[in-house]
Formats: sequence, structure tokens, C-alpha cells
Amino acid sequence: MVKNPAKPRPMRIKKTPYERIEPYLFLLPALVIFAIFLYYPFARTIYLSTWVTDALGRPKKFVGIDNYTIRLFGKADFWASIVSTLKFVGVVALGGLLIGLITSLLTYNRYFGSGFCAAVYAMPVAIASAAASMAFRMIYHPTGGLLNNLFGTQINFLGGANQFWAVAAVTIWLQSGINFIFISAGLKSVPAELYESCDIDGANYWQKLFHITFPTISPTLFFQIIINIINAFQSFSQVKLLTNESPNSSTNLIVYAIWHDAFRAQRFETAAARSVVLFLMILVITIIQFSFEKRSVNY
Amino acid sequence: MSQAKTMKHTGAQRKRKLKNTGNFLLNIPILLIILVPLIYTLSISLVDTDQVYKTLLLPHSIQFNNYVNAFTNPSYNFSRYILNSFIVSTSVMLCQMVTCSMAAFAFVFLEFKGKKILFMAVLATMMVPGEATIIANYLTVAGWGWTNSLHVLIVPYMTSAMGIFLLRQNYMTFPRELKEASTIDGCSNWRFLLQIAVPLSRPALGALGAYVFLNTWNQYMWPLLTTDSDTFRTVQVGISMLYDIDAQSMGLMMAGVIIVIVPSLSIFVFMNKQLINGLMAGAVKG
Repeated sequence: MVKNPAKPRPMRIKKTPYERIEPYLFLLPALVIFAIFLYYPFARTIYLSTWVTDALGRPKKFVGIDNYTIRLFGKADFWASIVSTLKFVGVVALGGLLIGLITSLLTYNRYFGSGFCAAVYAMPVAIASAAASMAFRMIYHPTGGLLNNLFGTQINFLGGANQFWAVAAVTIWLQSGINFIFISAGLKSVPAELYESCDIDGANYWQKLFHITFPTISPTLFFQIIINIINAFQSFSQVKLLTNESPNSSTNLIVYAIWHDAFRAQRFETAAARSVVLFLMILVITIIQFSFEKRSVNY
Repeated sequence: MSQAKTMKHTGAQRKRKLKNTGNFLLNIPILLIILVPLIYTLSISLVDTDQVYKTLLLPHSIQFNNYVNAFTNPSYNFSRYILNSFIVSTSVMLCQMVTCSMAAFAFVFLEFKGKKILFMAVLATMMVPGEATIIANYLTVAGWGWTNSLHVLIVPYMTSAMGIFLLRQNYMTFPRELKEASTIDGCSNWRFLLQIAVPLSRPALGALGAYVFLNTWNQYMWPLLTTDSDTFRTVQVGISMLYDIDAQSMGLMMAGVIIVIVPSLSIFVFMNKQLINGLMAGAVKG
């Protein structure tokens, strides 16, 4: 802790044994849960990824890095899944950011109905991905769904190449709320004097937007992209429910692939190895975030 | 603006009104994108079966069969799913309030060996996505025979780094003298936590509570892995089990979605400020 020599220190009284262990008692419940459900499974995942397991996930034969090199990196569908995941993450991160940016700019000024709009834009944060996926299954219905009825078409939105965009659209819809909330907060933190001085210089809306707003809120936008990326990496229910457990290679996203390995193919070892890959990908994003934050605190 | 107001009052007002309407109209496209899926889901849950595939947004006729079915038909145990989800979400919320308050208290007000390392250990948990450990966690609880129970849905989520962090930030705003004075007055740490720190951090606890309840209510993957009996099924898994083979099941499915969304949206509406504060704290992980 910070030492403050000017402040008179309270008299040191010898601590009783109970007083010495008391702080750890306060921490005990949290640390026990972390130990059992975070540290241990983290270590166990890495351990399992170096073994061949039986159908119940028990390690049977040590194989070192074979699960990675042979059973994942050596398979074309692993790379297809990674490429799809990265493409999906990119589309969702930018799509979410764009909707968040537009909705925050639209509700920046107060006018009749702006409060209502802001509430609606934030609303998707409350809606579960599973519930939304079920609703969109009806909207995308190939013969009698809302989209096909509106356009008078019979498009199979959930099949073929459309599947990727259908799942991405639902994910962007789900993410739009958190994007709106953060970017709105960012916009409100831009000092009003900056805009006032531009008004004096006669700058128009777009000039202010590109020369004041965007540069000032760029840390918020960057942070929001990171949140979007991390959330998109973890997408699962959309994939499982919208594709009815049969995604094609464009929607075989990493968390779905983990689940499929473990619970449909009974290959816990590749599920574990894939989990490690997921962890490493998110770790890279986190490291990028930290290094940028250190460098660009003042934009 | 102020000059125009005094000189040509009505003109300025009309101009403002026009600008207001114009501003609102710009919102319509995205408002529709967000609202239409929800309105449409509600409509489908209410229309007659023969209208399910023909409905364009608003229903022609209204019937409540799907809702009656969801709650009374023995093959869909919706009341049970709702009760399960409610028990699980409330328990997780209360447990997190307790464990996170205690841990945050120790990190802010107590001095002990290893404090820095333990705090780093808590922060480090934020770097591991839950999906990366979910398989190993499943194996752990399956090994204990915990699958198909309510406690398997509660115990792993009884604490969170986000909650500890949120309450720690809150406790750090307390004046130092508060703790020192109460220690001198002979107030034990437990009493300080219960009678001073907790009441003073009610807004932060509200934010944590709203966020955790909603997150647990909306959880899908963990309950899917650990429960496969109707008795312990939660709402999100429950609705995802419904089939979309025909119009009748489609209507029921949409009714299920509405039933599940209503509590989520109620939290959003009635605890909006707390929820958004919780969300903002929850997203500050990476």
C-alpha cells in the first residue's frame, strides 16, 4: 500500500491468530469457486489436450502434441473452421460497431422521441441469444417466414452461403445494444467546447464528425471492437439453433466445433485442444488491447 | 436561437417541431430492425394456426391457445422451466453478492500477505473465456454425479471476478476514516461489512444483481450440457427443445420465446440504470 509518512501510524498491536487468518476467510468462498471451476478446469483442459480420451473423457494414452498437430492442424476442416470464425468475428465486430455508431449519433441530441429510440437501441442487451435465435428461425423460415413473405420470395436463408450471413445478422442484432450503450457514453464524454469552437469556425456536421467526434472517441471505438471480437468468438447458441445442429463449413464456428467434438463425436481430446486454441486467440486479442491502451491513452 | 425565440415565437417553434420530426424519422429504419423481430414473434404467438405462415407483422385475429398450451399441456413443462430458471438465477445472484462483497472487502480494507498476488489471480480469471473451460467443467461435475440437478447450475457461478472488481471500485470510494473510526470504536470486520459497507454499496450491488440475474436467466450452453431431464431444464434450453415442424408448433415456439423474454425485458425496463451499470462493468474484461 501507499506509505504516507506525514500520517501518524496507529499503534501496532500484536495480531491474534484469528486476526491473521481473517482476511483469508473473507476471500475463501470466492477463491474456492475459482480454484474448482476456473483454475483446475483450465489446467485440466491443457492436460486433456495431450492425451487420447475415451468416450467419457477419461485420458487413456499420452500423445503429446499429436492432438494439435495431427488431429487439428493436419485437418482441412479445422482450418476451415478457424477461417470461418475469423471472418464471422470480423463481420460481427464491424457490423455491431457500425450500428452502434449510427444509433448513438442519431440519439445524441435530445428531441421528441429520442429517449424512446435510445431505449429501443439498448434493448437487445437484455435478450438471450437462444430466445432470439428461435425467433429468427421463424423470421428466416424458407416458405412462410417474415422475410420471404415481405419480399414475396422463397429464399432458404438458413442454407448454403446464406447461412453465414443469417447467423452473423442475428449476432449483430444481439450485439447492437451493448455497442449503442458504450458508444453513446463515449459520445457524451466529448467536451462541448470542442464543438463550440468548431461552430465559430463555421464547420458543418460532417466536418465536426470526422475532425472532432471520431478522433476523440477513437479509444471507445477501439475498446468496443475488442468487446465485439471477444463476444463474437464465443457465439454458440445462434449457430446451434439457427442451423439446427448442422452448420456448413462457413458457420462451423470454434465454440460450436468444441461442443460438437465433445458431445456429438465423443472426442474430448480434440475438444480440449480446440479450447486451448480458443483461449490463445482471445489471449492475443487481450494482449493487443492492453498494448494499445498503454500506448494510446491520450489518443 | 434565443433571439429568434423572442422575435418570431411561432415560427421558431414550428421550425423546431419540423426538425424534431425529421430527427425522429431518421431513426425509423433501425428502430424497425430492432423492434420488428419482437413484434412479429408476439404476433405469431397470437395468430390462429392457419395464419402462421401468412402473417405480415401484425396479427389479423388473436387467440391465446399457445400460451394456454405452454402452461397446461403436460408435454411442455413451462411453469417448471420458469421456476427452475428463477431459482437458479436468484441463487447465483445472491451468492455472488455475498462472495464478491466479502472478497472485495478483504482487498480494499484488510492487509495481509499475498494480497497483490491473490488480486492478480482474481483478475487473471477474466482472461479465460468460459467456453474454453466448459468441457473440463462438464467432466468435473459429471464425475461427481452432479448432472441433472439445480446445484450444478448454481455452484460454478457463485462468484465472479467482475463482481469482485465492481464492488472493489465501489469500496475504494469510501473515505479511509470510515474504516479507521469504526475499528477504533471496536467494530469488527464482519460487522463493518454487514452494517456499513453493504448498505453504502447498495447501488453497486443493484448493478451486480441485475446483471448477474439477467446473465444467468439468459444462459444456454452450461444448462444444455449439464441437464437433460425435464425436471431441471431451464427456460432457454426449454424453448430450444421445441420443434418447428408445423404451424402449430411454430406458434407455440414463439409463445415460448415471448414467455422467456418478458422477465428479461422487465429487468431492462424496471432496473435499466442498474443493468446498464452492471453491463458496463461486466464488459470491462478482456
